[in-house]
Amino acid sequence: MLGFIVIMPAIQILLFGIAIGQPPTGLDFAVVDNGPEGMGEVVIEELGASESILLHTDYSDISVAESEIVSGGLWGALHIHPNGTAELLLDNSNQQVTQTIIVEVRDAITEAMQAQGGSLPLEIADPVYGDKDPAFIDFLAPGIMTMVCFMFSLILTTMAFVGERYDGTLDRVFAAGTKPSEVLLGHLAAFTTILVGQVTVVILIATYGFDITIEGGVWLLFALGMLLGWSAMCFGLFVSSKANSEFQAMQLNMPVMFPVLLLSGILWPVQALPSWLQPIAWMMPTTWTAEAFRSIMIRGWGLEDRGIQLAFLFNAAFAVFALFIASRSLKVRE
Amino acid sequence: MEGGEDVGGAQLKGDSAAISVSGLVRGYGKTRVLEGLNMRVDSGSIYGLLGPSGCGKTTLLKVLLGRLVPADGSLAVLGSPPGSRGSRVPGGAVGYSPQELALYEDLSIRETFLFHGRLHGMDGEKIRARESWLIEFLDLPEPTRQVGEMSGGQKRRVSLAVALLHEPELLLLDEPTVGVDPELRARVWDHLQSIASEGVTIIITTHYIDEAGKADRVGMMRNGVLLAEDSPKAVMESQSASSLEEAFLALCRRDSTAVAV
Repeated sequence: MLGFIVIMPAIQILLFGIAIGQPPTGLDFAVVDNGPEGMGEVVIEELGASESILLHTDYSDISVAESEIVSGGLWGALHIHPNGTAELLLDNSNQQVTQTIIVEVRDAITEAMQAQGGSLPLEIADPVYGDKDPAFIDFLAPGIMTMVCFMFSLILTTMAFVGERYDGTLDRVFAAGTKPSEVLLGHLAAFTTILVGQVTVVILIATYGFDITIEGGVWLLFALGMLLGWSAMCFGLFVSSKANSEFQAMQLNMPVMFPVLLLSGILWPVQALPSWLQPIAWMMPTTWTAEAFRSIMIRGWGLEDRGIQLAFLFNAAFAVFALFIASRSLKVRE
Repeated sequence: MEGGEDVGGAQLKGDSAAISVSGLVRGYGKTRVLEGLNMRVDSGSIYGLLGPSGCGKTTLLKVLLGRLVPADGSLAVLGSPPGSRGSRVPGGAVGYSPQELALYEDLSIRETFLFHGRLHGMDGEKIRARESWLIEFLDLPEPTRQVGEMSGGQKRRVSLAVALLHEPELLLLDEPTVGVDPELRARVWDHLQSIASEGVTIIITTHYIDEAGKADRVGMMRNGVLLAEDSPKAVMESQSASSLEEAFLALCRRDSTAVAV
């Protein structure tokens, strides 16, 4: 069971990494080449080499390709005109697919123009941070690591002593003169051993399972993951001290998990939230952690960065505050 | 090895009150459970608290433990209000066996004793010594047996053993003999009488009204107050009853009539 608890986050992060964030592959796409000598060949060669695109060159008429898009056989078609300009026809019903095609076509056209001695008026320089072709997984991985560290710690502790409060064991522990803070710290210490395993597994899977480069310090990542886990556990202990049954504890978790998933920049940037929601997002430790994880993993920043310092501070403050309200609600004398 | 050598003295018996309660009121939310209850338990005596379920026995025990704060009235447990500064209740002075089994199912008997022993600051050697005595006395299975795998009666005995473990000078036992066979029940009572003679004060609630005949005093509780509080013999005589059960029924009948008037 203990092994299962440690491995569960690993399974979840694996599923996430496999299912979400990888670029789509095998997209049916046609090139109709009526263009000048040389240009079409380079485009076809470039697109043909792409993993994302399954290239069809057997369409000689753009209207045939277009009707194939209408009937769902193609995601899009590129029509190269005799004057060297090109037109891109798309089934724009899936944004991720369209984005992938546009990036591939842009790169192919750029290559073709360079082959002819020209170039696009816009050149994208080597990025300061990150890859030239950023994959969504690079953005997603720090977020998923945040979510997994948070949720599994929360789930572990929400039911920690719901049962104990009702089966008399807590009465007995209190009768021995134990203080609520001692009970809470005892639970925290016990669950910390599991947390160490979970955070380690999460970081290992991200690095080795998905080949995500961690530019910054792994120990920094580990320390912040632990701190986030603690703040989730302290919050879980608070839920545990309030819930009247295990079922209720589960129900109380729900309104926490969804905002965490949706508002803390895990699946989508916080900057994309409506401005009135953003302050709420920054009240959650997960928002600070996801942002700091990205800075550490992609930018390679360290503790000298203000945002990372704030992430540590915010998590610590959140943990202490949650532990405080938990010990207030877990009364020895009622 | 018997429990309780290091506490109180037999000379205290009957001389002083281990527990005195007057005008105690306590409820949950709007329901009142204890309605101005008065009670006195002498040091080194066994006090049998009798009454139907829902009459407030468990609530009373939790007030004595300092777990529930009284809404009104005054009480002293071992000389001071429980939970007050300097009070040894809650703490090492008291052993409590809740009505629920209150055991961690994943722990073995040995681990259970170790956990509660450590809570009371006992060292490993002392815990081991108590463990072998309690296992022998309460006829428990081998110490490595997991609590979750034991029968109801065995769990009940482990639960009682935990209360006796640190040899407290005050024992609050909430229905400790439910599901325990008559022979062992008699042994438990013998032991309670023997540690009481060494100065340990015991409050025990029970359904088996007749077993309370072995107590030094009984309190008959109904609707949050004590209808009678005296030695079992005196209670029976006052109701001209031949058993405690009969006496209790007579008291209840008179109480109901009083309420009706």
